[in-house]
Amino acid sequence: MSVIVLEDAIKRYHTGGEVIDALASVNFRADRGEMVTIIGPSGSGKSTLLNMIGLLDTPTTGRVRLNGRDVTNFSTDELTEERRSDIGFVFQDYHLLPMLTATENVELPTMWDTEVDRRDRAIDLLNRVGLSDRLTHKPPQLSGGQRQRVAIARALINEPDVLLADEPTGNLDQDTGATILDELTRLKESENIAIVAVTHDEQLVEYADRVVELVDGNINT
Amino acid sequence: MNRQHPLRRFPSALMAWRNLGRNRVRTALATLGILIGVVSIASLGMATAAIQQQATANLEGLSNEVTISAGPDNPNDGISAEQVDDIERLTGDATVVPERSNVTTLSARNGAEIRVRVTALTKADTVYNVSRGRISNRFRSGALVSQADARLLGIEIGDPVTYDGQLYRVQGILSSSQGLGGQQRVLVLPLSAMSDQNHYDSVTVLAEPGQSVEALTAGIESSFNTANEDVVRVRNFASVQQNVGSFLSTLRLGLLGIGSISLVVASVAILNVMLMSTVERQGEIGVLRAVGITRGEVLRMILTEAVFLGIIGGVLGVVVSAGIGVILFEFLLGSPLNAFRWQSVQYLLYGMLFAVAASAISGLYPAWKAANERPVEALRD
Ligand SMILES: Nc1ncnc2c1ncn2[C@@H]1O[C@H](COP(=O)(O)OP(=O)(O)OP(=O)(O)O)[C@@H](O)[C@H]1O
Ligand SMILES: [Mg+2]
Repeated sequence: MSVIVLEDAIKRYHTGGEVIDALASVNFRADRGEMVTIIGPSGSGKSTLLNMIGLLDTPTTGRVRLNGRDVTNFSTDELTEERRSDIGFVFQDYHLLPMLTATENVELPTMWDTEVDRRDRAIDLLNRVGLSDRLTHKPPQLSGGQRQRVAIARALINEPDVLLADEPTGNLDQDTGATILDELTRLKESENIAIVAVTHDEQLVEYADRVVELVDGNINT
Repeated sequence: MNRQHPLRRFPSALMAWRNLGRNRVRTALATLGILIGVVSIASLGMATAAIQQQATANLEGLSNEVTISAGPDNPNDGISAEQVDDIERLTGDATVVPERSNVTTLSARNGAEIRVRVTALTKADTVYNVSRGRISNRFRSGALVSQADARLLGIEIGDPVTYDGQLYRVQGILSSSQGLGGQQRVLVLPLSAMSDQNHYDSVTVLAEPGQSVEALTAGIESSFNTANEDVVRVRNFASVQQNVGSFLSTLRLGLLGIGSISLVVASVAILNVMLMSTVERQGEIGVLRAVGITRGEVLRMILTEAVFLGIIGGVLGVVVSAGIGVILFEFLLGSPLNAFRWQSVQYLLYGMLFAVAASAISGLYPAWKAANERPVEALRD
């Protein structure tokens, strides 16, 4: 069973009398243990698609299924709950909170669950991405690659089923990008999760199990 | 390594605390605004409490007094000895103190001269208190002078004062808080000093604890006066006390109103600071929402920030106000610790509550706005 499925998803924007279909009837799915890379020219709808998959946005028409459940009509708070428990996010700009330590940043998604203590898992995840000696550093004291590894650890804290990454290597040099991709590949297998990554980066395409190309809101197959 | 942050059990508080620490200058300025608001509320409140305590202390000595003097239709232009007997009969257990008064000039050895009121009476110990010296039992000889006059003229106990060619030795200095206005300028002499005068200028009736000043006043009034003949004039200070009391209440409301305005201004400042900082952190709050932090949790976090500003500003304001209160009470009443009686210390509590409430209300809109921002919009730079 696919972790995440989009069925005939259309995302339509009305701006200044103009109608833009950022996504035009897209079908998409991702399975556990695979890395799907979404490529396409700027403005083709890659981020829009990723936002649908990540339950950050809902399609204008169409269905969204997470682990077989139809979540299309979930309320804002229900969607938030699903994101917290099943989806991990990695952003191009890392988006770590500067006043929190690496460990606290990793724990952030669980911060308000005061019953469970995820500190041990956070430290374990930081060890696994090679940051065991940077646990109490704050983001401004870390390099770009290190920050992105903290972000990956944060995405995994709640044992998600799918990890979404928008240009995860966009701000990193070739070598650092490669280590991040190695990291993601290892985690994909050890955690048995689906990874969906949006990229312009040729390098990332090489790591992909499957490539989806978007052109003007349509999937090219 | 597993040492937990003390606020770890209160994630909203932990995050709010960290966020306030990020822009210390802004946090300090917002706090300063609240501090000023609290200080203006609390210190104005405490000032009225001090004035109130002072007024009460001054009026207390007068509250059991009824003063009788000659009315316009009095044939004698004074109160006669028979009328004093009548008053004594009418007032039962109350102490009746008839007195004669005049004005004289006192001069010091160095040539300084001052005009003072002179009063001559027998039961001086029932009407006056001395801070130094004593009042002899049946006031037959000697004199009492007020503190202010004694200081001006350099008079000590045992020194002589002259009235109408007679010498009197000063046996006591009156205590300063005596009657309305505190510093009555008066020379107190035995009744014999004015024996040339047949009538009394006034009679003071000191009510006993069980007696009603109003009833005594009415009783004397009705037995001496008729509808169109005012033989005596009877006054008490109960109505004065009431007027002063209601004036002070009005004053307090007015001052508290002024104080509240500054706290309103402070809460507008907090609103501004919170709006600015949430707009700045829009992307960050979008990330929080994306990784699964609910709207309610974001709202609580931002609201907690605002409340923290209120608490910090409030606590500092209370500390500063307590200091101001001690100085005020020292200055107005000479007893700094009275500042910590409930009558004045309550304003510290009001200031604190007002600060926290105003901050929470100011935080509501920014918190609500930040929490309801859609993460997709917030994340798009
Ligand atoms: N909120 C919006 N309102 C109107 N139009 C929008 C909105 N969001 C996206 N679009 C439009 O949808 C289209 C797809 O945008 P999207 O951000 O998905 O592109 P992208 O493939 O991620 O581009 P890039 O590679 O530059 O990031 C664009 O034409 C964009 O202008
Ligand atoms: Mg994009």
